[in-house]
Amino acid sequence: MDNNNLLAAWPIVAPGVAGAVFGAGWWFWVDAVVCSAAAVPFLHYLPGFFASFAALMFNCVSREDIGDSYYSPYDDSEWRVKLWLFISYVVSFVSLAGAVGFLVQDALTDSGPSAWTGTAGVLQCVFVLVSGLIYWTCHSED
Amino acid sequence: MALSRSMRACLHSGRLALLAILVSGGIVLQVLACALYNNWWPMLTVLMYLLLPMPLIFFLGSDTSSMMSTGGDGWVNFTKFLTGASIVGSIAIPSILKHAGIIGWGALTMELSSFVVFGVAILWFLQMNGEDEYSGVF
Repeated sequence: MDNNNLLAAWPIVAPGVAGAVFGAGWWFWVDAVVCSAAAVPFLHYLPGFFASFAALMFNCVSREDIGDSYYSPYDDSEWRVKLWLFISYVVSFVSLAGAVGFLVQDALTDSGPSAWTGTAGVLQCVFVLVSGLIYWTCHSED
Repeated sequence: MALSRSMRACLHSGRLALLAILVSGGIVLQVLACALYNNWWPMLTVLMYLLLPMPLIFFLGSDTSSMMSTGGDGWVNFTKFLTGASIVGSIAIPSILKHAGIIGWGALTMELSSFVVFGVAILWFLQMNGEDEYSGVF
């Protein structure tokens, strides 16, 4: 009974939850930059920006564009949507890998940003991507 | 229990007055958090409070059900996104200020309680609006 209600209420609260998760990701990063003793190089900002960009990218396509139900012999534009999605996946995974790489680098070296900065970078990446996914689940449920 | 019309109107305006008191209480807490410690950094949270009631401001006037309906209009979804982000931001900004050592525990507590007061006020306002819909048509 409760599960049913939750499922019915999900499309109503999903954008809010997505916004909250997105905000949490970025605020973790802001906290790490503000509380960092060492200056955070610009390169470390990039995974977060690219993850946000990727989240924006894959939210631009609606579910129906890639569904099999929409078939037309004169329509060959499906590959463009799939290419767009593929590029957004690549960007998101590369930014995630970059964030993890920076975490490892921060943890191993004493000079430069602390381990918290690296951790916050990974958290930021993960939360931003998850938020994009959550938002995607709600906007194409019609 | 059937209330007479005048009683219901009186109760309604009483509730509105309480709501106004809650909101002004929230504002007072916010300003106190800065004034008592002579440190005006927590006023940054006000930026978040401006974003928070956006769905209400834009969409409550037109049609309440559009907010609660599942058929997500793009702009309704976006304002809900902003609300979610600003809720987290209202909690995050005081926490970051505390973590960086710019404000103390007292200011943090006051900021967070101001946020809770605003949240209660908004939720109560939403509930009141929902009630009105059912009792409005005679």
